[in-house]
Amino acid sequence: MWSELAADARLSSRLRWPDRDSSWRRALIWLRSSGLLVLVLQRMTHRYMERRAQLGWTPGLILMRLLIGLIRMPIMMLTKCDVLESVDIGPGVYLSDCGFLILGMTRIGSGTLIHERVTVGSRAGDPRRPAIGANVWIGPHCVVYADLGDGATVLPGSVVSMNVPAAAVAAGNPATIIRRQFDNAALRRTLARNVDPGSLAPG
Amino acid sequence: MSSHWEMMRADVSRCVSDKDPSLRGVLAALGANMGLQAVLVYRFGRLLRASRTRIALWPLLPAGWLLYAVAACFVRSAYGIRIALSADIGAGFWIGHFGGVEVTNCRLGERCSVGQQTKVGRPQDAQGPQVGDGAWIGAHARIAGPVIIGRGVTISPGSRVSRNVPDGALVVGDPGRVVFRGYDNTRILPHS
Repeated sequence: MWSELAADARLSSRLRWPDRDSSWRRALIWLRSSGLLVLVLQRMTHRYMERRAQLGWTPGLILMRLLIGLIRMPIMMLTKCDVLESVDIGPGVYLSDCGFLILGMTRIGSGTLIHERVTVGSRAGDPRRPAIGANVWIGPHCVVYADLGDGATVLPGSVVSMNVPAAAVAAGNPATIIRRQFDNAALRRTLARNVDPGSLAPG
Repeated sequence: MSSHWEMMRADVSRCVSDKDPSLRGVLAALGANMGLQAVLVYRFGRLLRASRTRIALWPLLPAGWLLYAVAACFVRSAYGIRIALSADIGAGFWIGHFGGVEVTNCRLGERCSVGQQTKVGRPQDAQGPQVGDGAWIGAHARIAGPVIIGRGVTISPGSRVSRNVPDGALVVGDPGRVVFRGYDNTRILPHS
């Protein structure tokens, strides 16, 4: 849990201060990033559920349960985020500091960026939950209820209902694949969110 | 008065699972379901508004409005759910998740369901949307303007609706198009 959170903080501080990343800034970001708070809560709850299933009740787990009970509602109210406890989040994930995330997938791969006001969940009336691969970029105001492959990009305001293959770009409402091979490393390097779909067109 | 009470009962029963309709289940829903809390605060405000005409209740009203103001402010800022008293919502209203819900200046029928980030109605419009009974409005959907939406309509997540929709239709996309007529949404309605 701790190494994963350290990776999250490193990613967050690198995104926020691309050219001025330093260790004291990385320590400071815990106070300033609400996305990190959500990750702390989620990772702690996830770890608690795992250990609880393995070990049953131990004094450490009782303490952890109390702590989670204390911080859960304040963090949810502050950030307006609700992330399912069972989500398996890889190390080094960025969740938006602007909040309003409702996330209920099976897993999030490492290096994924999720911007504000995004909903990921199962289809209505279908209990299967989607999976989000590694190095995915999801823009603001998106709704995703299908699997996203590794390195997929979802442009702002899209509603994704069909699976997106690895390295593809999905856009529109309902979303279509507008490009098959796209390297989103440049998008994932900063917090810039306004993407021009024209610049992504093939050719 | 009694109609408001009946409406609140219907709202609560939408949030309590049929398997566990005990007092414990009801209390758990009241404590944990943010959407239900927001709806109950809205019902309380409507009750206060309706009791303007009853002079016997006037001494109680200032305290009631103060309580309502505090509760509504809490719901708005902590849960991000804004249900204006200008909205006329039928019994059994259900809000799926919290965050970014705005219901203003509109008329919703009975047993309507609304997801997170939905915007129904705009405060600046002279006449807002009218939604029929049993409509399911998905997350991030927007309904604006004086549109009439029929009964049992399903508005899929992320749709923008600015035109009339017939009964039982399934609406998808931006701008919202009717892709299917006669869609049965009772399967996806929670505890209807």
